[in-house]
Amino acid sequence: MSDVLQSLSHELAALTEKAGASVVRVEGRRRLPATGVIYAPGIVVTANHVVERDEDLVVGLPDGKTVPATLAGRDPSTDLAVLRAETGNAPAATWVDPSELKVGHLVLALGRPAESIMATLGVISALEDGSKLPSEMQIDTWLQTDVVMYPGFSGGPLVGADGKLLGINSSALMRGISLAVPAPTIRRVADTLLQHGKMKRGFLGVGAQAAKLPRALAERLGQEMGLIVMTVEPGSPADQGGLYMGDTLVALDGHPLREPEALIRALTGDMIGKKVVLKVVRSGELREIAVTIGERK
Amino acid sequence: MVLHELNQGLAAVADTARRSLVRVNSGRGPMRGNGSGTIWQADGLIVTNAHVVGRGALSVTLPDGRNLPARVLAADAVLDLAAVMVEASGLPTVTLGDSKRLQAGEIVFAMGYPYGVDGGSTGGVVIGTGADLPEMPINNREWIALSLHLRPGHSGGPLLDSAGRLVGINTMITGPNVGFAIPVHVVKRFLRAAIGAVEVPPNPNARAAIY
Repeated sequence: MSDVLQSLSHELAALTEKAGASVVRVEGRRRLPATGVIYAPGIVVTANHVVERDEDLVVGLPDGKTVPATLAGRDPSTDLAVLRAETGNAPAATWVDPSELKVGHLVLALGRPAESIMATLGVISALEDGSKLPSEMQIDTWLQTDVVMYPGFSGGPLVGADGKLLGINSSALMRGISLAVPAPTIRRVADTLLQHGKMKRGFLGVGAQAAKLPRALAERLGQEMGLIVMTVEPGSPADQGGLYMGDTLVALDGHPLREPEALIRALTGDMIGKKVVLKVVRSGELREIAVTIGERK
Repeated sequence: MVLHELNQGLAAVADTARRSLVRVNSGRGPMRGNGSGTIWQADGLIVTNAHVVGRGALSVTLPDGRNLPARVLAADAVLDLAAVMVEASGLPTVTLGDSKRLQAGEIVFAMGYPYGVDGGSTGGVVIGTGADLPEMPINNREWIALSLHLRPGHSGGPLLDSAGRLVGINTMITGPNVGFAIPVHVVKRFLRAAIGAVEVPPNPNARAAIY
């Protein structure tokens, strides 16, 4: 029999066992338990949709022990939730950034819905920036694989051939497609949730919809569409900055605004308190307005 | 280079699996059905699923093309296992693997007659093993959960590990991408209890016997 096939098989099993040392069971919903990853000692990251309740959470460790867990915070926009639990000696996972990945790379999806570690094998199918995702999803990279999401695998890790974690798998991000939340998004969300208990979102205070720009302007800006302001919330950053109904927004802090989703995406938590330039078309004239981004309550 | 060797390795496992694969034909006329079976002993003992032999008149098509009448020695509907006998000798068998030591992530290979296709193969990995797998009722029955593509007609066929050892009998699916096999150690227990069969040592001339 082939040495290569047997070596590959042994390595996949060994990889599963090794990476599985940081993979836990998360009991937070009525039906089947799901999976989580030890992010740091005492911290477990999992999928938000598998943590249906806020209390009576339990984490099952790789050594078979079960420990109570508390919810540190959840973020539906990335389908991530962070738990605190006594994870004991189980090692924290090491992560790899999407920049080091290529379409075609072998990947394992791990899960621990029962006692022992479980695995499925696949390849990276697509790797693009996150703008293809619906705007309410603040995920940096579209990381798609063909791994089979066995029941209870949500919240479990996607593991590369070097044993490092690429992200967290969720079957709820997009129906019928295996998408993983990439490591940088996990870091950003987990760190914010641990610090603040929730995700902060920037706030401008306008209601807007896409509108076609006059041809001359469109050519000058290299952009066909802008966002026409329909409402300005009194006292909001937009109001204080001097924005009016009928203004057409074309860029925020250098990010072109072609559709409302672009504005939602641009208003990340780290924009809060920042003074940024809004490029606006008013009475056919392009002008720049400075606004200080607020925080969405 | 590695991929080339990998391909050769997969083909070698497929060749091994084919040696112990038979087609099980049951029933007559419009009720005719077929599944797969796995040669267990050179003297004609074949293992398959109970649900494969449940349709009356039974025959088995051997790897060499011979079609022989077969009789059911024992069948257990709960375990979904059946022992079937044909009048033959010197049949090729495969080495039995240790299904208790199967690990999640390990490469496995299944073969059978999916939709009647001769020797239809599918490869993948072990998702997990045991009696507490999601999707399966908790009733003490042990399973190997598989990430590969079993189809109707794979039932009763062999599941092999990367060394070409028989580790399970393909039995059912819960979806297009997830299959379940009965571990070989459960099959051994069934055979011991049902017909007193003992495990036969692997036949070192098995390859020569068929080719």
